[in-house]
Amino acid sequence: MGLDSLVALGPRPAEPEASRSVGRRILGRAARSGGFRIGLAILAVLALAAALYPDLSGIDPNKMDVRARLLPPLFGGAHWSLAHPLGTDQIGRDMLVRCLIGLRYSFLIGVASVALTLAIGCTLGMVAGYFGGRTDTVVMRITDAQLSIPMIILAIAVLGVSRPTIPAIILVLGLSNWPVYARVMRSVVMAERGREYVRAAQVSGASHARIVVRLLAPLLVPPLLFASVLDIARMMIFESTLGFLGLGVQPPTPTFGNIIADGRKYLLNAWWIATMPGLFLGLTLTGINLIGASCERARNAIHGGA
Amino acid sequence: MFVLSFLARRLAQGAVIISLVSLLIFTLLRVVPGDPVRLMVGGMAPDSLVEKIAAEMGLRDPILVQFGRYAGHVVRGDLGHSFVRPANGAATGGANFDDTTRGERAAVADLIRDALPMTLQLAALALVFALAFSALVGIAAGLRPGGAADKIAFAVSSIFISLPNFWLAIVLALLFSVKLGWLPAIGYGGFSYTILPALVLAVELSPVLIRTLSGAVAAQMSESYVTVGRIRGLSETRIVVAHVLRNAAVPMLNLLGVQFSGLLGGVIIVEYILDYPGLGLLTINAVLQRDFPLIQGIAIVTSAIFVVINIVVDLAATIIDPRLEY
Amino acid sequence: MDEAPILSVRDLGVALAPAFGGRRLLDGISFDIAPREIVGVVGATGAGKTVLAKAVVNGLDRTLSASGTVRFRGRDILGLDPRAMRPLRRDIAYVGANPMGALDPTLPVGRQIAEKMRAVTPGVTEDAARRRVIALLEAVRIPSAARRFHDYPSQFSGGMMQRALLVDAMISDPALLVADNVTQPLDVTVAAQVIRLMRELTAQFQTAILFVSSSLPVAREAAARTLVIDAGRLVEEQPTDALVARPVHAYTRELVAQIPTIWTGVPAQPRSREAGAARRPIISLEDVSQTYRVRERGTFAGTGALRAVRNVTFDIAKGDSFAVVGESGCGKSTLMRLLSRLERPSAGRILCEGQDIARLSGGELLRFRRKLQLVLQDPFDSLPPRTAIGAMLEAPLRIHGWRDAARIRDKVRAVMNDVGLSPTLYDALPLGLSAGQRQRINVARAMVLDPEILLMDETLSALDQTEQFRLLALFDKLQSAHGLTYIFISHDLAMVRKACNRVAVMYLGEVVELADNGRLFFDPGHPYTRALLSAMPTLEERRYRPEDCLLDGEPPSPIDLPAGCAFRSRCPRAFAPCAGQSPALVTRGAGDFASCHHVPAPGAGLAQAAAMGSTGRIRRTNCGLPKGMPPPSRGASQVKGRATRGEGRR
Repeated sequence: MGLDSLVALGPRPAEPEASRSVGRRILGRAARSGGFRIGLAILAVLALAAALYPDLSGIDPNKMDVRARLLPPLFGGAHWSLAHPLGTDQIGRDMLVRCLIGLRYSFLIGVASVALTLAIGCTLGMVAGYFGGRTDTVVMRITDAQLSIPMIILAIAVLGVSRPTIPAIILVLGLSNWPVYARVMRSVVMAERGREYVRAAQVSGASHARIVVRLLAPLLVPPLLFASVLDIARMMIFESTLGFLGLGVQPPTPTFGNIIADGRKYLLNAWWIATMPGLFLGLTLTGINLIGASCERARNAIHGGA
Repeated sequence: MFVLSFLARRLAQGAVIISLVSLLIFTLLRVVPGDPVRLMVGGMAPDSLVEKIAAEMGLRDPILVQFGRYAGHVVRGDLGHSFVRPANGAATGGANFDDTTRGERAAVADLIRDALPMTLQLAALALVFALAFSALVGIAAGLRPGGAADKIAFAVSSIFISLPNFWLAIVLALLFSVKLGWLPAIGYGGFSYTILPALVLAVELSPVLIRTLSGAVAAQMSESYVTVGRIRGLSETRIVVAHVLRNAAVPMLNLLGVQFSGLLGGVIIVEYILDYPGLGLLTINAVLQRDFPLIQGIAIVTSAIFVVINIVVDLAATIIDPRLEY
Repeated sequence: MDEAPILSVRDLGVALAPAFGGRRLLDGISFDIAPREIVGVVGATGAGKTVLAKAVVNGLDRTLSASGTVRFRGRDILGLDPRAMRPLRRDIAYVGANPMGALDPTLPVGRQIAEKMRAVTPGVTEDAARRRVIALLEAVRIPSAARRFHDYPSQFSGGMMQRALLVDAMISDPALLVADNVTQPLDVTVAAQVIRLMRELTAQFQTAILFVSSSLPVAREAAARTLVIDAGRLVEEQPTDALVARPVHAYTRELVAQIPTIWTGVPAQPRSREAGAARRPIISLEDVSQTYRVRERGTFAGTGALRAVRNVTFDIAKGDSFAVVGESGCGKSTLMRLLSRLERPSAGRILCEGQDIARLSGGELLRFRRKLQLVLQDPFDSLPPRTAIGAMLEAPLRIHGWRDAARIRDKVRAVMNDVGLSPTLYDALPLGLSAGQRQRINVARAMVLDPEILLMDETLSALDQTEQFRLLALFDKLQSAHGLTYIFISHDLAMVRKACNRVAVMYLGEVVELADNGRLFFDPGHPYTRALLSAMPTLEERRYRPEDCLLDGEPPSPIDLPAGCAFRSRCPRAFAPCAGQSPALVTRGAGDFASCHHVPAPGAGLAQAAAMGSTGRIRRTNCGLPKGMPPPSRGASQVKGRATRGEGRR
């Protein structure tokens, strides 16, 4: 829910004085903070591992091995095995590979759904903010309605019946958080709409579409991209929640959610099955959040004064 | 006078929101595949019987007709009866598919009335935990941006926001309840059962609260009335307590209004995992059982709560900052 | 100076902290203020005046470090920590340039003033503080002070807020008041009231004042002795009158020379470019009104009608330099939006060469846009961020269908040359350009479409005097070269005096006077015009004294205006008919008009003459006439009408 705080505060309009693009200044400033570097390091390691390890190790994430079932992680108990650094699950599948494959799905679904959210939210927000009046009222009532029902209910309802394919999951997630972007975008565009350079463009004869697409969008969308980094984390949580409820990507494909759901039954005698994917997910999210929050702080510092 | 007209206008807007929500849910439930009658009567029942029951229940009429009929009942205070749950408690299974007498099925309003107080208790406790913690950390961070408190706030909120609630619920239950035996966790047998789920929810809520609060306090501290206030002779304590915190409360209030559905989403998951008998558990079961009237009823009640909370929040914000009056 | 000085500043220096570059902002400033003395400080923006004011009250930011001494009653207060400083806040008061940001916006004004009083004077009860605040609010002529006590800052206008802050400063009976540019954000007529009020208050409370201002004429109104600061150094100190008459330092001489004059020393009067007979209207406003619906507070769906522009009718002739002047809220910005067709009027028509511009669309609208271009006010806000100058100037051409890149580039280069922008700036961002250079880009963006009319919305108001001179010269050159018609929207009468041949004065949405340059400044027909002229900051001997022409108060709300003349609540010459009926614009001969019941309609009947006669007492006040002019014979003006009288007086 990283973006929600912006609804109340709203980003301030871009300064006309910025030499480099606002995005690059924010990135430059954020990159100097410790949080950003730690986050980047965490993500880099995880990304490398997720990209390479499953294929290099040649371990099939779905290969059952009854003799090697419920092996603990390294140094985690009596019968640990070097071949399975994070242990195995109840039917002997390798935890590390399963977690890394889960990470791939989780991350890709997170990014894709945030892209969808951004597209819908920014478009509706810009239209509402620029045109105001009745258009604005209609869009804002729809966002209010959407904000008033927890999207998890709708997601469960939709995915519970139709088979939860990856596109369906992305669609549901993408549709869940756009009102927040729409609201932020609307307030920024409203503030920007009154500025003189927009007026100058109007008087020189520029059409509304030209002003929104050519003039405002390149200025106003990039700052939101930074805020949306935090939303990737939020979507990954959402995705794993669905997986946990059995409404995510279906087994045998491993996802954080379905591994944790499986492991829950073995919590007392094989704690690692539920804990390991949680730690992986938590680590990934910490990385994303450190980067996202550093960017947000840099953005506030740049817009707030200095 | 102002309050009355404000209420009238906002309630009218709220009515629009609630009708939009119920129409949306109503349509969605009928468009997605999955026939509730089939679930009610069980897989073994013949198709003709399914059709017969469906027709009797009006499920084969056009959606708008169904919605009109439904809305008519709702306006009179009747949220209908559950498809699945009998009035006496246990869920009806597929065996008694010949049972179509609605009187023996539980009224949706009753089900919600039983579950809602439990959820409100949980949500309130979670808010108390989250607000107490966030106020402590957030204000200290906002007063000295870049200081130690600010760094702690940053680290704590970055970690908290990275903990998936369902996982945290499992781990905390394992830790506090099974291993240490400090707190009961599963089900409900008294107020102490509320503490653990409330802690999980508080961890989920506080990062946003901390960040908003520290941001708002820092922003207020750089307002010119603070600088001028010092020159006018007001003490630092007075400036912070009487003016800065007062102004910083406004974005916090707005946030609480917006965060409502996030909180409710968390409640649903946590209740389901810890088997806490509130609205969340009711919701998930209703969805999984395709219990249309119950889902609709819950959607209407939650959006009504959303509307009321937002009216209260805006009213409170207006009392603090009269410029918001509109 | 017999008494020991109340404030004694010695060798005061202020610099940015080393972490922020260590730049010196003030250097070697020394001066004294005696009890009950008013000392002015003038200097350009950025000269260090505000830093000086903050240093004197020990309120510098943490990013600044100070050296030297600031002795208040003999005790060095510079660098005193906040806790030790607080007891002294009772005796050292401060009022700044940003009245709207000085108080917490969420608490009533009165309560905050009482809060301050109780903070600096221990032992005062809440009730006593409240009574004292209300008494002082009454003393600064805030209407219904007891009720206003409970109002919030947002419910106060800028002028009213500045008066409330004077109350806040004076509530503890301070020995020294530091007033930092207090009149800067205010309209001239309101600023004149505030200065008058400050003089009264300090006489009454025996307070010494350090009066900081960026305007020498304003400082002269207030202060007997004035310090001049340039680039952080004190360059001259003299009694104010001597300073104006015989400035010593080169900077002061330049400062005095740059103060605009209105009645003396204006060279040639601006004229229309076209010969008399050829004057044809290029823009005609016919009874134009613009009404906005605004939500009424505290009602379910109630709306009020905000009448921003009311029944405005005038012609702008080709080749004119036409000015629309007025203070904030008079409707001139709305008029700008109507003329540039950013909005359509709710009633009436605006004709451009016979075409109703509200009805234009598509290609016709584009043709109109080409004909009329807008140059905006804010040199920073009006240029799109992070866009190269060339690209900015190309955009209008592309919108208007130009496709050939080489031709576009040639055209843009030609226009840049026209307005005096170096062609090397083509691919540059406008970073680091001065406000004046930026306004040239603005002008170029308008000129690139070869317009016939340029609408200047406060185009010069953000520029200092020197830059203003240069741009006015540029406008003059462009007008001769391209046969342009100018419409200036402005609050600056001095600029209008120099640059425009015809002037419309607006008040609360109406044009109250429409006249040629000379007539308007030497023989204004409307009491509001006279009030404006009386409040102009100038070093000349005034033709109209504020004491005579200006009553207290501020314009009423434009929402649901009462019947009658809109100016009557502030008019020193209001009489019975003003409450009943709104006066129409009537001709004063020679194409000049004013809307005042004191201006008789041509051929007015006996009834009106009788009504005028009953106001003889009011008309004999100074305000009716420029100083030194003999009052005209009442009988003559009644019989012949005002028009003849005006002509005869020139």
